[in-house]
Amino acid sequence: MIKIRLGSTPRLMTAHLIRFNRRTRPQLRGWAIRLAGACLVALVLYGERERLAQTADWLREHILAASGLASIATAISVARRRVRKRAEFAKSWLAALPLRTSMARWEALLIEMLPAGAVVAALAGIFFAVAVSAPASSSSALAVWACLSGGVAAGAIASYTIPNPKPVDLPPGSRYVPRRRIATASALRPSLKALGFWPLRLMFARAQPKLVARAILPVLVLMPIGTSAATAMCVIALYVVAGVLSLLIPAAISVSVSVRAWTAPLPVRISQVMQVVVIPTIAIIAGASAAEGLLLFAMGVSLRTALASGLCMAFIGSLAALAAVQLRPKRVRRPP
Amino acid sequence: MSNDILQIRNLRAGYGSRVVLENISMSLAPGDWYVLLGPNGCGKSTLLDCVASRLIASGGEIHIGGVSLAQNPYEAKRRLGYACAPEALPALLTARQCLEVHAGAKDLSAIDGDLFVLAEELKFTPYLELFVDTMSLGTRQKLAVLLALVGDPLLIVLDEAFNGLDPASALVLKRHLRARLDRCGGAVLLATHSLDIVEHYADRAAILIDGRLQREWQKDEIRRLRADNADFEAAVAQAMQS
Repeated sequence: MIKIRLGSTPRLMTAHLIRFNRRTRPQLRGWAIRLAGACLVALVLYGERERLAQTADWLREHILAASGLASIATAISVARRRVRKRAEFAKSWLAALPLRTSMARWEALLIEMLPAGAVVAALAGIFFAVAVSAPASSSSALAVWACLSGGVAAGAIASYTIPNPKPVDLPPGSRYVPRRRIATASALRPSLKALGFWPLRLMFARAQPKLVARAILPVLVLMPIGTSAATAMCVIALYVVAGVLSLLIPAAISVSVSVRAWTAPLPVRISQVMQVVVIPTIAIIAGASAAEGLLLFAMGVSLRTALASGLCMAFIGSLAALAAVQLRPKRVRRPP
Repeated sequence: MSNDILQIRNLRAGYGSRVVLENISMSLAPGDWYVLLGPNGCGKSTLLDCVASRLIASGGEIHIGGVSLAQNPYEAKRRLGYACAPEALPALLTARQCLEVHAGAKDLSAIDGDLFVLAEELKFTPYLELFVDTMSLGTRQKLAVLLALVGDPLLIVLDEAFNGLDPASALVLKRHLRARLDRCGGAVLLATHSLDIVEHYADRAAILIDGRLQREWQKDEIRRLRADNADFEAAVAQAMQS
């Protein structure tokens, strides 16, 4: 039945089929974990019912600001999603399919509004839980939910007034990769060293300037009035160090998977490849951790704490990188 | 002891419980250009993946240059050159770095000049400093083939390596491989759909259907077909239907 309805909307049909293909048989362990998680959340909510009631009351007092913020955030995210999804669809394998205009419009609307709908549903769940755990402030919870949902809906509608950004049509993955300019061709030196640069390049390729700028913006906004420039710079630098680590470790993991596939037919020992790929990554983690310790010290933290923090970060980061890189040959998985 | 470059005995491979290759046995002598033909999904790439140790076989033996791939993979792989799929090449390395990594992995002190001559003939030299990410499909294919030839391997394994190459580059590569085999021995195992390679360059060919070698053409048979100017396409079609 669902197939017949979805049949005329190729993108929704594809999403449904992907979901259907990924679906696995319900397992007892999965259900047990979900039940345990739900119990834990219920327990936390019950334990914190007084604070939840206070939060609901506080939100009711500032409902206009909260709704406004929800509205702005929704408008921006829906507008961005619309631009991204339209660009993706224009280049996708479904782009050339014939689709009725009205159907295409409905399909696009559903896809673009999906996160807003999910937010409204999530808010309903949260405030229902608040109302149940703290019945005294159920009216506040209901009012806050209604206003926030209204804000989200208004934001979703308002998103259509946001103009589209200028189109960027560059080859994927190539924009932020540094271009090497070599005046004279040097001799070719057999070495595995290049594998060590790979995680770093991937890290830089993923750290797109726009993304970095937007990630730093909340830190600047949240900085209390009266903060000195030196402290602000230290906080931003700490944030950058954390960003480097959070980009570098996943990059090392992806690279290790690619290196494994690429070097499988080569007469190279795993330990050799491991050394080449992991050592530069660990060196950078150590450097970033040292920078973190220094920054903390500069911010007035005691030398001992700063040192402990740096060492701890270096240890955890290196351990994570070492544990996560998967350079051992694996058996090929059975196709679905 | 035989001096075969590649020896496969009773090979069995698949994905999980799905068996793709069943009881495959074949051998390549020095100078052999062996072409694997067959319909899509018959197991050609799976067979090459087993030889390149990208897939662990569930049974049977593979020997490269007399060395068992299962027992001594390091030594066996030293004798192997495998051209991976162009999309499997590392996007964020330059062509030069890819060549350096392959040469480093094979413990070479330098790359032989023959490879640079081929790179020049394939008009690949201007792309040496470019990132793989920015190359076209054909250029990546050329790089994959060049990587397979690093270190002058005994056995060259090519999976549809002529796909995406322009006719001039494809001709250069075919002639280079033929000359290489005639000059220094070695062997080429190629999976392809283009029958012109069998008609003009290959020494032996086989059709793989449903994971089994259905029909094999030996050197003298191919020579006879060439001499009679026979229609090889019809012969392959007939073998596939039977």
